[in-house]
Amino acid sequence: MDYLLHILVMVSLYAILAVSFNLLIGFAGLFALSQAAFFGVGAYTTAILATKLGLAFPVPLLAGVFLTAALGMIVALPALRIGGDHLVIITLALQIIVIAVMVNWRSVTGGTDGIAGIPKIHLGGAPLDTPARFLPLALAVAMLSLAIAWRLAASPFARAVRAMRENEAAVQAVGKNIVAIKLAVFAFSAGLAAVAGGLYAQYISYVSAETFTLDLTIYILAMVILGGTGNLWGSVLGAVILTALPELLKFVALPPDIADKSRQVLYGLALIAILLLRPQGLLGEIRAPRRRIARAPAAGAALESDLPADGRVTVEGKGLMRRFGGIVAVSGLDIELRRGRIIGLIGPNGAGKTTAFNLLTGFLRPDQGTVSLNGVDLTGTKPHRIVRSGMARSFQDLKLFPRMTVLDNVMVALPRQKGDNLFYVFFAPWIVAREERANRGRALAILDFVGLGERAGDTAENLSYAEEKLLVIARLVATEAQVLLFDEPLSGLAPNTLEAIFPIIRRLAAAGRTICIIEHNLDVIRGLCDTAVFLDEGRKLAEDAPERLIADPALAARYFG
Amino acid sequence: MKKAIAAILALVLLAAGAARAAEPPKDPKSFPIGALLAMTGQASFYGQVMSQGMKQAVDEINAKGGIDGIPLEAVIEDHKGGGGQDGVAAMNRLISIHHVQAVLTSFSAPTIAVAPIADQQHILMVNGGAVSPQLVGLSKYLFHNRSLSTDLSRIAIAYAAELGGKKLAQLQWQNDVGDNIVKIADPLWKKDGGTVVATEAVAQGATHMDPQVAKLRAANPDIIALWTFNPETGLALKRIRDFGMKQPVIGVDFTENDAKIAGAAANGFHFANDYFAPSDSEPWSKQFATDYKKRYGTDPDFYAANYYEGVYVIAECIKRARAKGGDYWNGEALREALLSNPKFNSVYGGQMVFQPNGVALKRTALFTVEDGKRKFVKFLEAKE
Amino acid sequence: MDLVLQLIVNGIINGSHYALLGLGFGVIFGPTRITHFAFGPLYALAAYAVWTAAVPLGLPLPAAAAIGIAAGALFGVTTYRLLYRPFERRQSPSLVVLIASLGLFIVLENAIGIAFGSDTKVIPNFNADVILLGPVVFTSVQAAQVLALITVGSLLALFLKRSDYGKAVMAMTDNPEMARIIGIDTVKVATLAFALGSAIAAVPAMLILLKEGATPYMGFNAVFMGFVAVIIGGIGSLSGAVIGGLTLGLVENLGTWQIPTEWQSTIAFIVLFIVLLFKPRGLFARGAR
Repeated sequence: MDYLLHILVMVSLYAILAVSFNLLIGFAGLFALSQAAFFGVGAYTTAILATKLGLAFPVPLLAGVFLTAALGMIVALPALRIGGDHLVIITLALQIIVIAVMVNWRSVTGGTDGIAGIPKIHLGGAPLDTPARFLPLALAVAMLSLAIAWRLAASPFARAVRAMRENEAAVQAVGKNIVAIKLAVFAFSAGLAAVAGGLYAQYISYVSAETFTLDLTIYILAMVILGGTGNLWGSVLGAVILTALPELLKFVALPPDIADKSRQVLYGLALIAILLLRPQGLLGEIRAPRRRIARAPAAGAALESDLPADGRVTVEGKGLMRRFGGIVAVSGLDIELRRGRIIGLIGPNGAGKTTAFNLLTGFLRPDQGTVSLNGVDLTGTKPHRIVRSGMARSFQDLKLFPRMTVLDNVMVALPRQKGDNLFYVFFAPWIVAREERANRGRALAILDFVGLGERAGDTAENLSYAEEKLLVIARLVATEAQVLLFDEPLSGLAPNTLEAIFPIIRRLAAAGRTICIIEHNLDVIRGLCDTAVFLDEGRKLAEDAPERLIADPALAARYFG
Repeated sequence: MKKAIAAILALVLLAAGAARAAEPPKDPKSFPIGALLAMTGQASFYGQVMSQGMKQAVDEINAKGGIDGIPLEAVIEDHKGGGGQDGVAAMNRLISIHHVQAVLTSFSAPTIAVAPIADQQHILMVNGGAVSPQLVGLSKYLFHNRSLSTDLSRIAIAYAAELGGKKLAQLQWQNDVGDNIVKIADPLWKKDGGTVVATEAVAQGATHMDPQVAKLRAANPDIIALWTFNPETGLALKRIRDFGMKQPVIGVDFTENDAKIAGAAANGFHFANDYFAPSDSEPWSKQFATDYKKRYGTDPDFYAANYYEGVYVIAECIKRARAKGGDYWNGEALREALLSNPKFNSVYGGQMVFQPNGVALKRTALFTVEDGKRKFVKFLEAKE
Repeated sequence: MDLVLQLIVNGIINGSHYALLGLGFGVIFGPTRITHFAFGPLYALAAYAVWTAAVPLGLPLPAAAAIGIAAGALFGVTTYRLLYRPFERRQSPSLVVLIASLGLFIVLENAIGIAFGSDTKVIPNFNADVILLGPVVFTSVQAAQVLALITVGSLLALFLKRSDYGKAVMAMTDNPEMARIIGIDTVKVATLAFALGSAIAAVPAMLILLKEGATPYMGFNAVFMGFVAVIIGGIGSLSGAVIGGLTLGLVENLGTWQIPTEWQSTIAFIVLFIVLLFKPRGLFARGAR
């Protein structure tokens, strides 16, 4: 019967919308409120091209997808650049502005009249002009959309996204461009919403601004939340329930004058009840199961290439200065890091050591001074670019990706992954698969190198403290940066653990890496470093062999007093 | 030989035709009549009064034994006053589950969206509330028993011309209805040398119209035109007086709700409307109004009247179609019944005639508001 | 020039309304971080409470007003204890609480419609005085809206700065974790915040009742504007919410000065967009994220 078939068509369209919204909110953690606007832009584009230009399916729909994806990116870019959680308001503004444009731009959108009489889709010569005839197409497109979203969520790109959600600073520190990632997800989500829009336009054959308001965005949001963010099947389920529920309630007989309002009341109560029973949503987030990673042969060496450990200067920080408000954190700092050498950075708390690291790696912009790597000026460059240029750092507070596996923590840091590029993910999946296999081998080799090979399949948050420190090192090595800056890599570890880790770092230096370590433990400095640099009050006070520095009474007074 | 065959054929056909005519009517158990109304959402006031009018008619007819003993059934579906897809779902439900053959519809967007379905499934549709000119001629099954807003605006402008004054300020609904009224009214006013000093738009459902009214005031008009409907009309009247503007105000709509909102500010408002004025000279309208007040506690406005009347139009069509016998309970037969004699009794008094474009010609008149109540002033010729 | 003055005055008046909404919403959102969607229909409910007291029950306006404020506070507290507390206890993510609030929104809006009908409720025979001040005109109700902002704002500021509970509210806004650690009973303070915010919302609600009447669906706009005012002003800053609300009102009115009024709703948002480009956390944000 047509009624049921119509409901199924609408469920298909809403499923596409819910999945598209979930990609943004659940998958990428971007809370935006413009999904109905994207749906509308897709619908209107299709309507205009099909009606006024007479273009046949699927041209108008595809045009709608590209236009909407572009719009999504244009709007998101300023919001993401600045970062922060006012993406909500900006997308809310977009939602409202899009409606106003639909209503006022009469010559193109028909203004308040909307666009009526949109031609039906013709497949195989027959028009899809009834719910029965349209449903197969709707279902097919819905399943295709789900498949595409699924592929996205299982790709290396998704790994980077997941890491981004766990810790944005850390994912930048492994060389990922988070703005580009967010834009890609935005474009994808908007484009997918436009697919639903294109179908809608040629199904109902009438579009008007009233359909695409904030109310609809919130309705789709409810489907996503109900189904469980981070679970694509959940979004489909959410679409089914929230479309079917109001229709099922219509079978409940009620006095006509309050019938529909009462049904809305029941609907609201049902929503609350479901959420109370399953606050995480009906279907939970799909987690990587703890699995024993097959001991694949360590393919490739842990260290990509050995450089000469000749002490040549690789990193130069000159005259670096940075202040915060009235406080000068670092001033007049000159620092040189050398290939094959391990330099220790010591000083009392608040001396500016971590600030120095932040300045060198782009996490902070120096107010004055320059940073260069192998003669190339990197001052003011974004962190992820500096990583790709060859200088990477770890964090004092680890910033691991706790809910990802040990293996994934390392794999996400490997550079130049084609799987990060959506084009390859969808159009050259075999290349991505091959690279994944190779990368897996390399990641396992790196884990073996630091001694974590047995724990590859465990979730990072289940590691012991010492194992976490090893993972930090592994992740940093995985970036293949030739300059490695470790921020308190060994703090809090027992002496025998320290002794076990020393060879790892020495091995890195011997392979031509430039190493700089911030440490408080003087035994570490003495045991590991070729040179030590003493910082206090943001300035370099001394640079010398560790024993001589430690023996200096004036410095000792600063350090301990 | 050929002649004989022809003759036999003719006889057979004649017999068949006669048999068809004499065929007993295929009666359903009841006549479900659908309605697509705004029962929830911002515009639910309309749904409330429209459904009230409809139910009153259904109850009345059933109390008298239904149509030839078969009862009517009112099946009301909610399209929330929103976009097309809710209307489509509701229409599909009416057809698939309730097997309606006639539907009372309201609001432009849902009506436009379901018009193709009416065409495909042959369902008679009667619109008593939506005013968009887009709806005219949209479907051969769609009929309207209310005057177009554009026609009403012609009358309002004619009255404004009578008042004298050259400068007109307009406040319109920010949608296709408002746009289309302005498209007609604007050049009409200018044709005789008048000027339009301001045209402001307010969104349907927006209660905040201070900037618009401030701009109207600054334009210093002689006359103000309200191309708005409930409740913006009431709100605008109030704000206009709040802003201290004393100019005469004309419009095309005024309901009980507007009267409540505007209070004393509505007095003196002149508006063109379908001539719905319950009075002793029009017994049916008086009886309708009295019963409505008894049932629901308020006076009816013409929206309630239109949907009450719409049921009677459909009932009349059913009666006519049934008289022909056979399989008459379908939209096609009902439509033919309507067209066979486009004159119907109107609850407004007298009769209304459905024109070829599907719009019923009713008497329209100029009304004013006195003591918060509408008062008939006179019949006025629309300005051409 | 006259028009501009009038638009500015209107902007301040409407801005006061939005500012009050921002204060109400902000007082709740700051310490609890709950996106209290249902703030909208609760605001409407307060208006209906005043109407019920004034019309069917025939009480004088001041008494009705007091009932409205008390009712508002009561509804707010009930909502917190019955709806949000269970989610808090389960430590649900904030998005889930948002949707639960949406569920309540739908329930309340339609419940009001069932109980009172969809027509507009007004206080009959109430006529506001029209006041002319040079080229500018406004009514006594509109003046009351501005006065209400000043009164409520001052009282609120006093309460938050001077009283122990008020300081607890500010502490929770700044840093909920720390507040818990130093021994503040966060549930009690949150309950208070809900009572306070809902009581504040009752004030603009009853003024709107006097100005335009009450409808079951009047809540959506209220919560929307309250939310936006808080975001513009910066979460956690109540003076920011006031500035945010006034800004919204001024932009909404002045924005139409030279621009056709069709764009009224979008002007405010375009300005908002620009503000947030330069000040991503709002004008005066405070508090840990």
